Amino acid sequence: MKRLLLLVVILALSYAFIQSKNILHIAAGVSIFLLGMQSLEEGFRFFVGGFLDKFLKKITNNLYKSILFGAITTTLMQSSGLVAVIAISFISAGLISIAQGIGIILGGNIGTTTGAWLIAGLGLKINIATYALPMLVFGTLFMFQESKRLKGIGYALAGLGFSFLGIAYMKEGFDAFKETIDLTQYSADGFMGLILFTLIGAGMTIIMQSSHASLVLILTALSASQITYENAIALTIGANIGTTVTAIIGALGAGYEGKKLAGAHFLINTLTGFLLIWFVPQFIHFIDLTAPFLGIPKNDYPLKLALYHTYFNLICVLLFAPVVHGLVALLNHLFKPEVTSENEIDDVLFINDVALDFPDTAQATLLKETKHLYNNVFDIIAKGLSVTKEDITSGMEIDDILKLRTKAMIVNMDDYYERRIKEIYGKIINFAILAQGKFADESNQQLIPIKNATLGIVEAFKASKHMQKNMLRYLESDNEYIKSEYNHIRKNLIKHLRTMQMIFNTSEEDVAVLLLSKLQLDAQKYDIAANKSLDTLIRTNKITYTMATSLMNDTTYAYTIASELTKVAHTLFIHSNAESKEGREALILNESEVTDLTHSTEPRSHT
Amino acid sequence: MSGFKFIQKIKELFGIVAPSVDTTKKQIIKELLKKLKLRRILLKQELKNETDLIKREAIHDSIKIIKKQIKKGKEIVDV
Repeated sequence: MKRLLLLVVILALSYAFIQSKNILHIAAGVSIFLLGMQSLEEGFRFFVGGFLDKFLKKITNNLYKSILFGAITTTLMQSSGLVAVIAISFISAGLISIAQGIGIILGGNIGTTTGAWLIAGLGLKINIATYALPMLVFGTLFMFQESKRLKGIGYALAGLGFSFLGIAYMKEGFDAFKETIDLTQYSADGFMGLILFTLIGAGMTIIMQSSHASLVLILTALSASQITYENAIALTIGANIGTTVTAIIGALGAGYEGKKLAGAHFLINTLTGFLLIWFVPQFIHFIDLTAPFLGIPKNDYPLKLALYHTYFNLICVLLFAPVVHGLVALLNHLFKPEVTSENEIDDVLFINDVALDFPDTAQATLLKETKHLYNNVFDIIAKGLSVTKEDITSGMEIDDILKLRTKAMIVNMDDYYERRIKEIYGKIINFAILAQGKFADESNQQLIPIKNATLGIVEAFKASKHMQKNMLRYLESDNEYIKSEYNHIRKNLIKHLRTMQMIFNTSEEDVAVLLLSKLQLDAQKYDIAANKSLDTLIRTNKITYTMATSLMNDTTYAYTIASELTKVAHTLFIHSNAESKEGREALILNESEVTDLTHSTEPRSHT
Repeated sequence: MSGFKFIQKIKELFGIVAPSVDTTKKQIIKELLKKLKLRRILLKQELKNETDLIKREAIHDSIKIIKKQIKKGKEIVDV
């Protein structure tokens, strides 16, 4: 269907180009302008990875700062689309809240108005094509440089050059049109006319995926008197509605939080549009009254349209900024995360295409998804020990849990792996590899340990699976000695898992730093104590040799689970805060330091 | 004011001045050391009141770990 539509568009355009060279000029202008916008976005992406995302995290901690951030970045980058993509990506990764994201979108709306002023005030009054050519030459020169910064500047310069050239072509096309055909004969008056042109404005923005391109087209057509002022206003309202489709398309690959933001953008612009469309005559009168104060001549309709565009977006902010929290509540009601039941195949919760846009969002997403995988593995390891996740997270004494859970819990580990681990594990690894290929070495170094933590989680699961067979057999054995040994394994692993939950849940970093070292110490001490106990049991013939072999293997598996999960807790804690990462890491004792401590203490009594 | 100083000033205003990695690391360690010292005092008090042998051993282990961490942290900060 899409291909057929493309074919129809190509044929229609080809026919139009044969019929009129002016249409070719205008279409070429739009294409060059869009190419310029893409190049400009590409240029800014080189800076986004470092400077912009740090700036974003610092400055968007309240709504009004978010609005300011949206307005400034859109003004600088002249792309509300890129700002929306940044906001969606950061929301999806959980780095900013949905309310802050809405602030950025509202600010972005104000930022786009500067584009209209620049085009109406300068672009249409001076011959900007003369500036375009040197920009293209210097931009291309920079694009081939090694330095990322210079590359970024190159893409941005070339982008501006192409945009200027595109505007010049559009202007030329409309000016030439004026001599042969008068498009104003197709103008429509009255309310129906407003509705019709609003729909046309929305349609052309959806097709071009750029409200800037639409605005340029509207302003150049208006400056060449090819559309009426009233119809231009309706087209602008339409462009503001159509531009939300860009964010909606961007959010298709995002998580449900990203979808919320796209929904907010659509609601804000559409509601403002349909509210203001009723008051267009009054607005025209208001603009006529206020324009002279800004020095806008009576007949300068492009500048008046820029003023209208500014009023429209300011009203948008004034209407929605005070009710952002209500809007968030509505969006929370409309968009809900998919909850999978235990029997369904669990899928990733945070990984999506937009998370791959920036190094910070990729890392935050990878961390969250690894924790999601850990939670699933925690659940199955607990079941493998014949207890539940809730037993471990409860405040119950471990001995009481063991007294409560004396019966073996039969769980199909392979089935659980297929349903709740495999898919997530595969997608995490795939995401990490894609991110490693995309970002610079510095960012990669942050991703590798998190990827390894994922491997560690799965290793712990495998060890748990191997251990489960004997656990089922000996937990209900008549031999009290072997039963007691398996209960001892259970007790230590329950303690380990409980400590891990404490590390993940505590807000006091000194507690986490202490517990991470303690996890290692406990694992080593347990291993020593278990081996001693095993020797005694074999020497005194308390257990058979098959029991001894099983116990020996399972003690090793228990040690694998404990040590792998310790590494996971270490990585997830260290990487949860990039700023204090190195300081935290320095104070956590390493393996040899823990070994020193283990040997300086008496082995724990075997209960 | 030179161009560089002006940019630094602007960065300071927006709170995006990036201090050297080493300074940040030492600062974080100093803060963590303070917290760990307080934690050690709390654990020592807890140890006095604890009668259960296994729990006493666990608290004792924690105190030993903190002692080693404080020693390690001081060495880094003093360099």
